[in-house]
Amino acid sequence: MFLHYKFVLILRALWFLAQIALFGLIVNRMVKEEVQVVTGGNYFYFYAAGIVVTLLYSMTVFIGYDIYEEADHGVTEYLLSLPVSRRELVLGRAIGGGLRSFLYVAPLMFVVLLLIGITDPFRILIALTALFLFAFGVAGMSITLAMSIKSHDRFDILLGVLNAFIVRLSTTMYPVAFMPPQYAAMAQFNPLTFAADIFRWGAGLEAVLLTSPFVSVFGIVVFFSVFTFLGIVFYEKRLEGGGWR
Amino acid sequence: MKLGGIAHLLEYDLRNFFRYKWWIAGMISMNLADLIVMAVVYTNMISPTVAGKYLSYFLFFSPGITITALFAAAFMIGREINREFRRSLSHYLLSLPFSRRELAFGRVLSGGVRGMVYMAPLLATTTFVTWFFTEKLPSPLEMLLVVFALFLVSIGTSGLSITIALSTKSFEKFVTARGVIYYVLFFCSSVFYPLDFIRQLGRDGTLPQPLVFIAEINPLSSGADITRSFLLGYPSFSPLMLLNVALFAAIFVLTATFAYLKIVQE
Repeated sequence: MFLHYKFVLILRALWFLAQIALFGLIVNRMVKEEVQVVTGGNYFYFYAAGIVVTLLYSMTVFIGYDIYEEADHGVTEYLLSLPVSRRELVLGRAIGGGLRSFLYVAPLMFVVLLLIGITDPFRILIALTALFLFAFGVAGMSITLAMSIKSHDRFDILLGVLNAFIVRLSTTMYPVAFMPPQYAAMAQFNPLTFAADIFRWGAGLEAVLLTSPFVSVFGIVVFFSVFTFLGIVFYEKRLEGGGWR
Repeated sequence: MKLGGIAHLLEYDLRNFFRYKWWIAGMISMNLADLIVMAVVYTNMISPTVAGKYLSYFLFFSPGITITALFAAAFMIGREINREFRRSLSHYLLSLPFSRRELAFGRVLSGGVRGMVYMAPLLATTTFVTWFFTEKLPSPLEMLLVVFALFLVSIGTSGLSITIALSTKSFEKFVTARGVIYYVLFFCSSVFYPLDFIRQLGRDGTLPQPLVFIAEINPLSSGADITRSFLLGYPSFSPLMLLNVALFAAIFVLTATFAYLKIVQE
């Protein structure tokens, strides 16, 4: 199903390259010396690691669009006829949504890890597991939103607004030390901050972490648990009596 | 060419534009997030040696956001024209009492006007923000020149978008081409970073010379710098900036008009 979006995949890869090879490199030369110190000596590595998390997030939310497509094309009825419970269905969708975007982002993630330099494979393994849970949670969030909003247009706009603010109000692009206090307060509880922190920890960029790896993993586990639960509740509720139509 | 026919086409395309209220709302939130979050944080991070001439990175970036919004809104017309040709809606347009030349030029002009309509509140906000921090307000003539330059960028973008839309019937290919153009023109311009700094990176060997050249001739760079020169006083205005956007507009308005005429004849 994901390969339906091959042009989206190409575009996202181009966006990633432009962000890293142009914006990342140029801004790295524009920032104050203080920023380089706070980011562990290289803002470019900090930024590249954050962009991977942003890409993972934006690829995973696509699962919500599939839900609308399926409702439009009568695929939901087919899925309901399969010998799986509704709970299994939504859990499978969330895992599938997380896994497919994870697989897509994996090569780009690998490029960034090679750029930064792999120091501890065990840490990377922990970070990748946490990122998978994060993707799983984002898929659950997207399914929850798709199930609670009937209009495709409204879902599109809500996702656009959410995307605009959730990415910018996180530490994916900049360290919290340079954020105004109100933004920094919001960034501390942002799941993208947890994901970016754990990925940077895995890549050996400890100096820049806002939260400890334990707190990041805990935050991600809470995020994915809440949205998987909500996704199941909303999906089951919406499926009852053909509410998706 | 009759002006009445073109006015009808403008009305048709403006009405269509406001049908995309969700898209417009999404764009506005993206622009706001860029201005009130991203620009504010980067202002704390960017070295004063880079942004000092503009007082702050926030003031430097505000006109850049205006240009990106103008570009995205003016590019929308291509998406619609691509759809019209895929769904043969263009046959209906051909049955209307306009000459083909009016139809072709009218569509290019509409795209440009839509870009201006969307950009106007952002330009007003940028003007207010720069006035608030610098107490500098452009004279009516300077403002007119800014609006004229931005209109040239807008109509040129509309022409570029229509040219791409007519070169393929596949919507996916159009979207991909649009993405490539967006990324090259946005990131290789003075929207996010000053042109002086890009040139310096080119001299240092950090940035390849072809990318520096793209940034220099990029109409988005000229549009953003003309706006900055009158709102912030730096960089100083050069007629070459205006010539650059005028050339961009002339090339793509003509290309799009001829491409449209050619495709309706087929």
